[in-house]
Amino acid sequence: MTRSPDELEARLREVGENRYHHRHPFNLRMHEGTLSREEVQTWVRNRYYYQTRIPIKDSLIVSKAPDPSFRREWVERIHDHDGRRPGEGGLELWLALADAVGLSRGQVEDLSGVLPGVRSACDDYVEFVDSHDLLSSVAASLTEMFAGDIMKVRIAAFEKHYAWVTAEGLRYFRTRTVQAPKDAEQGLAFVLREATSEEDQERCVAALERKCEILWNLLDAVERGCTAPHLSPHAMWRDDPAEGTLLVLPERAVKINATGREILETCDGERSAVAIASSMRERHPDVAGIESDVHEYLSEMRTLGVLQRGA
Amino acid sequence: MSAPRPFNLIAELTYRCPLRCIYCSNPVAYDDVREGLDAAMWCRVFREAAALGVLHVGLTGGEPGLRPDLDEIVRGASEAQLYSHLVTAGVTLDRSDLEALRGAGLRSVQLSIQDTNAAASDRIAGTPSFDRKLAFAEDVHACDLPLSLNTPLHRHNLDRVGEIIELASNLRAHRIELANTQYHGWALRNRTALLPSREQLERAAREVAEARITFPDLEILFVLPDYYSDRPKPCMGGWAQKNIVISPNGRVLPCHAAAEIEGLEFWSVPERSLEECWGKAPGMNVFRGEAWMPEPCKSCPERVRDFGGCRCQAFELTGDAGATDPACELSPRHETILAARARAEAVPADDFVYRGPQ
Repeated sequence: MTRSPDELEARLREVGENRYHHRHPFNLRMHEGTLSREEVQTWVRNRYYYQTRIPIKDSLIVSKAPDPSFRREWVERIHDHDGRRPGEGGLELWLALADAVGLSRGQVEDLSGVLPGVRSACDDYVEFVDSHDLLSSVAASLTEMFAGDIMKVRIAAFEKHYAWVTAEGLRYFRTRTVQAPKDAEQGLAFVLREATSEEDQERCVAALERKCEILWNLLDAVERGCTAPHLSPHAMWRDDPAEGTLLVLPERAVKINATGREILETCDGERSAVAIASSMRERHPDVAGIESDVHEYLSEMRTLGVLQRGA
Repeated sequence: MSAPRPFNLIAELTYRCPLRCIYCSNPVAYDDVREGLDAAMWCRVFREAAALGVLHVGLTGGEPGLRPDLDEIVRGASEAQLYSHLVTAGVTLDRSDLEALRGAGLRSVQLSIQDTNAAASDRIAGTPSFDRKLAFAEDVHACDLPLSLNTPLHRHNLDRVGEIIELASNLRAHRIELANTQYHGWALRNRTALLPSREQLERAAREVAEARITFPDLEILFVLPDYYSDRPKPCMGGWAQKNIVISPNGRVLPCHAAAEIEGLEFWSVPERSLEECWGKAPGMNVFRGEAWMPEPCKSCPERVRDFGGCRCQAFELTGDAGATDPACELSPRHETILAARARAEAVPADDFVYRGPQ
């Protein structure tokens, strides 16, 4: 059944209410004030990758639009993020946030600390827009409708609970409380005007659901990076004459090389995956991409039960 | 030719069992097999197994919990540096027994559960056991041992596979093996009553896929049965390649069912070393590698993946252990599988023979 524009808007808002990442446990903890400094830093460092994908996603949307007035309006988003000259724009403000939480600009900009799960979630978004038409792509961007509110909650939470983050760091959030509703208004008006058939409307709902899922996956990955892996208490080390070092588990034996052993010996349930990856980087500064390799390895070891699952 | 390195030892400590499951993989004539190995002999076998490269030992049966010397056997496995795994029905051991086994070096426990409720589970097991099993799962956790579950699947429980997985999660198992019944031993005798329909299997496969998302921390093993996959299973990772089975009388075998194949000569550990029994017994070498393969196996690209399928099944269904596994659609005898499937679909039998002395 085809919905009226009001009904469609209500349906889209319902998707946001149920699936937007304001309900994600990591965001709930952020807003309650229980994140550690390391967790805040991990989030800022990883979310930066998402910020870098947004202007690329918006450029793809502009390239799909035949209407000059649509393009003229939408291109503003790219300027909002990239600025009109060096040192301006949302990306720059995000780097100011990074600075305010105690990260160096270089280590954020080089993306070396981006968790593989975060990278794939953000790449999924660009890929979605690349492979879908204008209507679905704009519908996916409608998480903007819910961004204004979450930014207000976030600013209050940072001021109250994370006083160590200076006010200069919060400028990105303040800017978005204005930009996001404006962007959302344009996107929503387009979707309500263009999605007139039942099929198109369902496509828009599905696109928004997919986008919510992507944002959720991003935070899942951040959350996993912040948890401390713990070697399974049921794993037994064994030096095997033919295979080298093995970890024997109830249903399998896993071959562990020297680097693997170095990583697993630090999985004591105290240090987070992110901390383990960054200490490996310090010890092996010449190995390119080592942090992301460490995260992939930890995830593989979790699947095999070498590391405790559900932790 | 030197024998390949075995990684796993399956020690069938006894064929006695308080359960009478209708798909038991023990030989139909299990009652004729004497318990020939005392704890000291098992300990000797474990030391020899470790020297051959074995890492895991599965203590199974029958019901290994019926051995009064089980803790001595476990200690022997532990002293040989083997990772010991108890495969049990969970009705004979109490918490203090488990604590003693843990003290002796037991590493992990696999509990069999037949279904999700007492009536259905007990019907398959042929004896009241379900409630005791649930309590046993708690005992395993109380002893800080990792728990996995094993639920053989068939026509009578396949429709509840989602609930079975949920039960595994509720029992805090880290893994569940949903083994589709393999038709040897008692299962072959009860085949018409056990074979599921294709529709049931497809529904179950969908439920398993959903459950993997709902329970990401539970390892779920589910493989389509060879009767429906039209491809043979890579049985035991190849004949006498990775796994050693030792039956209660000390016979060293390549799998649980191989003793049923007529005319094969296997050797026993009381008489010879494990190394000889594994490496040199004629029955071990007859299907090792690829030299025995007939066409279409010999030139088939799949042979490196399925190792020519199951020799026991070939023997049971064609009378020739060296034939192509009839489960394969390329087998000239594949119609025996199709006929069994058709029979089970047309007249699903509901009466079965419980495991018991013949």
